[in-house]
Order: sequence, then structure tokens, then C-alpha cells
Amino acid sequence: MQIGLDADQRAFARSCGALAADLAAGWDRGRGPRDVASPEPSEKDWARIAEAGWPALRLREENGGLGASTVDVAVLVEQLGRHALAAPVLGTLVAAEQLQALGAPADTLEEVAAGELRIAPLLDGRLLGFAPAAGGALAWDAAGATLAFAADGSAHALGDALPAADVTRAMRRPGARVDDASLELRAPTDDDRDRLHAFVLTLLVADLLGTMSAGLDAAVEHARSRTQFGKPIGSFQAVQQIAAEDLVSVEATRSALYSSAWAVDALPAAEALRAARVAKAFASRAGVAVCEDVVQLFGGIGMTWESPVHVWLRRAHTDRLSFGDEHHHQAVLADLDLSAGA
Amino acid sequence: MDFSDSPDVAAFRAGLRSWLGEHLHSYAEGVGHDSAEAVAATHRWHRALAAAGYVAVSLDAAYGGRGLPDVYEAVVNEELAAAAAPPPPPIGHIAHAVADFADPDLKARVLPGLLGCTESWCQGFSEPGAGSDLAGLSTAATATDDGFVVNGQKIWTSGAMWADRCLLLCRTEPDQPRHRGLSMLVVDMTTPGITRREITLANGSREFAEVFFDDVRVPAENLVGERGQGWKIAQHMLTYERGPADMGWTGRLGNVLAAAQEGVRSGRLPADDVLRRRLAAVAVDAQVLSWHVARSLVDRDPADPGSSGSLDKLLTTRVEQELYAVVGDLAGAAQVVGDQRPFGEYLWSRAQSIYGGTQQIQRQIVAQRLLGLPRG
Ligand SMILES: Cc1cc2nc3c(=O)[nH]c(=O)nc-3n(C[C@H](O)[C@H](O)[C@H](O)COP(=O)(O)OP(=O)(O)OC[C@H]3O[C@@H](n4cnc5c(N)ncnc54)[C@H](O)[C@@H]3O)c2cc1C
Repeated sequence: MQIGLDADQRAFARSCGALAADLAAGWDRGRGPRDVASPEPSEKDWARIAEAGWPALRLREENGGLGASTVDVAVLVEQLGRHALAAPVLGTLVAAEQLQALGAPADTLEEVAAGELRIAPLLDGRLLGFAPAAGGALAWDAAGATLAFAADGSAHALGDALPAADVTRAMRRPGARVDDASLELRAPTDDDRDRLHAFVLTLLVADLLGTMSAGLDAAVEHARSRTQFGKPIGSFQAVQQIAAEDLVSVEATRSALYSSAWAVDALPAAEALRAARVAKAFASRAGVAVCEDVVQLFGGIGMTWESPVHVWLRRAHTDRLSFGDEHHHQAVLADLDLSAGA
Repeated sequence: MDFSDSPDVAAFRAGLRSWLGEHLHSYAEGVGHDSAEAVAATHRWHRALAAAGYVAVSLDAAYGGRGLPDVYEAVVNEELAAAAAPPPPPIGHIAHAVADFADPDLKARVLPGLLGCTESWCQGFSEPGAGSDLAGLSTAATATDDGFVVNGQKIWTSGAMWADRCLLLCRTEPDQPRHRGLSMLVVDMTTPGITRREITLANGSREFAEVFFDDVRVPAENLVGERGQGWKIAQHMLTYERGPADMGWTGRLGNVLAAAQEGVRSGRLPADDVLRRRLAAVAVDAQVLSWHVARSLVDRDPADPGSSGSLDKLLTTRVEQELYAVVGDLAGAAQVVGDQRPFGEYLWSRAQSIYGGTQQIQRQIVAQRLLGLPRG
């Protein structure tokens, strides 16, 4: 048993965090919903992302990638959440892993790895999973993407960003089919499908963890400096009691993330998916609850567009619903554990 | 990252599993606290588990432990739960206080009995006037030529009625600031001047008591650590008391959860969609708790266990209280009419947020020591 990040992973977390912070600093959330900046990174920023190897991280070497473990990818994604990065790195990672799992040709994946072909995953309209075909689907975290592939291999151009809760990631409808970009994909085996699903759920847990811990850290910082009644508000018990339970949620989510990230690469696919569902169910509830507490601890300023507080809550809600919220996974787990003959 | 068993852990787990396969059936019957027979059965179970080498496995082998890393405590819990066995004895806290602070002579004298479960111990901390505000306790141990004379009263002392020894937190330095005036003594419960009066718990269980000390003489060699070190030892001990695996909680909860799931699967406990969903939700939380406990034990520094026990206890509290609430609701009307043991267990779950420091006190510790928020 070795539970926790090793020295290389800690160093990787630091370098990802530094780049994410730098990229995030350039993004302006605007003055209000009608003035929000697009979460599409500039050419220069995307080039830095590609150079850092983020789109290539999980792809295997024969596909032009770095062949990183799920734990390594989770380390990156936690930092994306921590800095509420408005650049479609998570969408790229998810779409790339789907294409790789479905046997997309190496030359296409090499372009994705290099950051030259910008793709987004297509989810069904309820955001519960990958869309089998483009009808009614949504391209997820799709700012700047030029193509999205449905599970049937059809390539689609993408429309404008839809109004969305999350201001750091764009959702777009697939449009016209792009025939010459469409791919021959194979039908996944059950194992491929489960492992892909476990991988994606785990990354969402990582994004939730980063988001909720950024929110809690900011709230604690605020509670130390804001004074009322002549004292820092963080000295009041009512404030401490809320913050303490939030730390319990954050640390438990971290334990769940570590276990599910490890499981994706180490356990049989069905067990890995089960672990990921447990982690996603826990993190979905905890992530939104913590971000709501953060609003409370900031008081009035937390309700303003100007503060980052709503950005975390928006991102947490999107992560929560994407690929199933806690209710969805609880229902699946109930069927697995509680049906006669289970 | 690797949550899987190392070869050593796997071998240990397999050994425990086969021991349970062979011996559990001869001990599991009748274990509990609600009658003298149940208490006797509990002690028999604990002694058998200890004799087989599965109690306090993370403690020093010289005194009856096995000197294994802390994470083995989680393995013991997991396997007992998986076998639907009664939980291990809740002694990790007392064992650590003595093992980590007492001098070698005292350890050699008392630890084998504690870890071997041949002697029962109780923890004499709380007093009528000092619960959450533990440092305000007033039981006095006055120094004499050859030891101490104790006068005062303890309350809510679990297991005091049948305990052979008491780990007593008392005031030895009345002129020192309150946290610095405390010491920890090992008191033989047969010493003249000790009176125990049973207190029945709300669920009818007879496991705690108030204990009166009237001129009770305690020899100097029964002082744990040094005079004035009591608060530090108590803090150390409480960290372990709050550790879910050190006290056998994860094993116990796993057991209850598995029984509820089996009841629903078999149709014995009819469950509509809402109840199935709630049971699945608490199973999620219980699974996360056990991952968290493993991580926490791997991270824990035995020299300085820190305050993470408070965080872990808060997580345990969430899981335990919701679990028993769901189990109660699964029983439906049977929860309030008929055999009252299940309701008694539910009532017990409400104590998880009280003993070992209340939920409010744990949150205060987490907020101030782990998050660094200022004291009020
Ligand atoms: C089943 C059980 C077994 C026990 N076993 C033992 C044992 O073996 N040995 C032993 O020494 N003790 C034992 N205890 C006692 C236990 O440690 C105390 O009950 C506990 O520390 C709380 O103290 P109290 O009961 O005096 O409650 P109080 O301290 O009076 O607390 C009452 C309420 O006030 C709240 N409160 C108090 N102070 C604060 C504060 N500063 N901020 C916010 N809220 C506050 C508490 O959270 C609680 O909700 C046991 C208790 C139970 C229920």
C-alpha cells in the first residue's frame, strides 16, 4: 500500500498548478452574464498548453502521447479545477481517451496530442454519457474545438456556445457532418467501455476536488481577514463549524479520488467503474455543498459577479451533473448491490 | 498510488481470514453489553482474538502487539466486518497512551494484560463539571512520599463496572495553569476507596458508570510519563480514540451495512426506491470512509499523530448516524414495536457525536488546528 502522490507526481502537480494559475490570470470573467469572456484560450495560450503536453498526457506513445497513468492525469485535472481554468483541457482529455478507446487511427490522435486538431467529446443531451450519434447531443467543454466525434465515428462541426451555468467551459451543439474527417471506429468491448467510463468519472472527481478546495481555501482566507464585531469572522464558532465539515468533505473526496484513479489502471474494469461511481457520487454531493458553503462564508460579496465564488459553484454544478450526479450513481449502485441475486 | 495489499498485508489478511473461518463460530454468539453473560461473551471473544495475535497489531511486539504498521488495524477491521464478526476491543487509545509515554517498567507490568485482553481497562477523564472542558477537571491526586492520594469523581466511564484498571487523568499540580497541572495515573480498580455506581445508558445497555475516589492510594511507579504531562498524553490518546480503525468502528459499520444490504437483497427487509437509494447513498459514504481511513493510517506519523483523528471522527459520525437511521427505517414499524435491540443500536449511534469529544469540539479542533482559523 502506498496511498498518496509520489515525489514526481507532487512536482508535476506544482508545475501544472503554476501554468494553470498563469493561464487563468489572463482570463477575464467580464462584468456580467452579457459581458462574459469566452473560455476559449488565445492561440498563444493554447500553444503553451500543447507544449506542456496536456492534450497528449493520456494518449499512448504509439498515438503520439505520453502514456500517463490515470493518477497523473488526475493530478493535472485537480489543478484545472483549482484554478477554474477557462481552457478546454478536460474536454480534450476526455475526447482523446474516447477516440483512443474506440481505436481511432494514430494519425488523428497524433494531431490531437500535438494540439493541432482540437476536439470535444459529444455527450447525450442529458449529459449522462457519450452520445451514440450526433442527434440531440452536446459538445462538452468545447471552446475552440473544431470537431466533435460521435461514438459512431461521424465527425461534426460545432455551433456557437450555448448559454450555460459554467462560465469557464463552453457547451456547443454539433452541426453539419464533416464527411472527410469521419473515422472508422470499432464498437468497444464491455471492458473498454467500463474503463473509459471509470476514467472520465475520475477526472470529474478531480475537477470537483480542485474546485471545492480552491473555494474552501479562499473562504478560510477570507474568514481570517474579514472582521466583524471587532474580530475576524473566522473566530466565530458558527463559521468554524461550517468550514470544518467542509474540510472533512474535501479530504474524504481526496481519498476517494486517489482510490478511484488508482483503480482505473489497476483493477478489473467492472471494479474500477464501481469505485469511480462511488467516488463520483460522493464528490458530486460534496463538491456542490462545499461551494454553497463558500458562498455563505463570503457573505454579500460572494453573491457578486465580480467575486470568483459563483465561478466555483457554477463549475461544481456542471461537473456534478456531467456523466451522472449522485442520484444517478446511487441508483446504479443500488441495482448492483441490492437486487436479488446480486 | 497503490491501494492493493502488499504481499505482507495479503499474507496477514489471509491468515486472519482463515483463523476467523475456523474459530469465529465458537465465539460470536451472545456478544454484547446488555447483560452479564453478554459482557462475559465479549471478553471471551476479545481474549481469543488477542491470543491469536489480532488485537493492537500496530503496538510494540515486546508488550503483546505485533509491531506492524498502523494500516494493519484497518485490515483487521475490514476482515472482521467481512466475516460478520463482532468488533475488536476498543483499546487502541489507552494502549497508545501507555505504550508511547510510560516507562519500560510500567509498560512491562500493565501492557501485556491490556493487549492480551486478560485485564479490562477504563478511561477516567470526564467529570460532572468537566466534559467538553476537560482541562477544567478537579479530581485531585496529592503527592505523598511514595505516590499519590486521589480524591474526586469521574463519570460516563465506559466499562468501569468490570474494569481491572483505570487510566486516570487528574490534577497533581494545583498551582500550575490548568493545562499544565494534570497527570496520568494507572489505578488498580480494587484499591480501597474506589466506589463504582452503574449508570444505565439510554438504550438500556449497562456499560458505563460513575466512579468515586476517596483517599485512594496510587504508587508513584504508576505515573504515566511525567508529572504535569497529563494533558499532552490525553491529547495523544484522544487522537487515537478518534481514529475509526483504532477503535474498531469501521469494522462495526461494515458489518451493519452488509447485514442491511443482505436483508434487502433477500427480501427480508422490504425497501421501496427511496430506502434503496438511501442505503446505496450511505454505502457510498461508508466506502469512502474506508478508503479515507486507509489513507489516513498510511499517512499517520506514530510519533505525532496530529489532529487528523478529529477529521476522521467527523466523517465516521456522518456515516454511522446516517447508517443507523437508514437501518432503522428499513425495519419500519419494527423499529418502535417489538424487539428493541435495533432501536437500541440506533440510539447508540447518537453517542458517536458525543464521546471522545463532541462533534462541536471536533469541528473546533479541525477549524483551528487544521484550517488555522483563529481562536474565539
Ligand atoms: C457512550 C458514551 C461513552 C463515554 N465513555 C467515556 C469514558 O469511557 N471515559 C470518559 O472519560 N468519558 C466518557 N464519555 C464522556 C464524553 O467524553 C463526554 O460526554 C463528552 O466529552 C461531552 O461532555 P459532557 O457530556 O459533559 O457534555 P458538555 O460538555 O456539557 O456538552 C453539552 C453540549 O454542549 C456543547 N458544547 C460544550 N462546549 C462547547 C463549546 N466550547 N463549543 C461548542 N459547543 C460546546 C457540546 O458539543 C454538547 O453538544 C462517554 C460518553 C458517552 C455518551
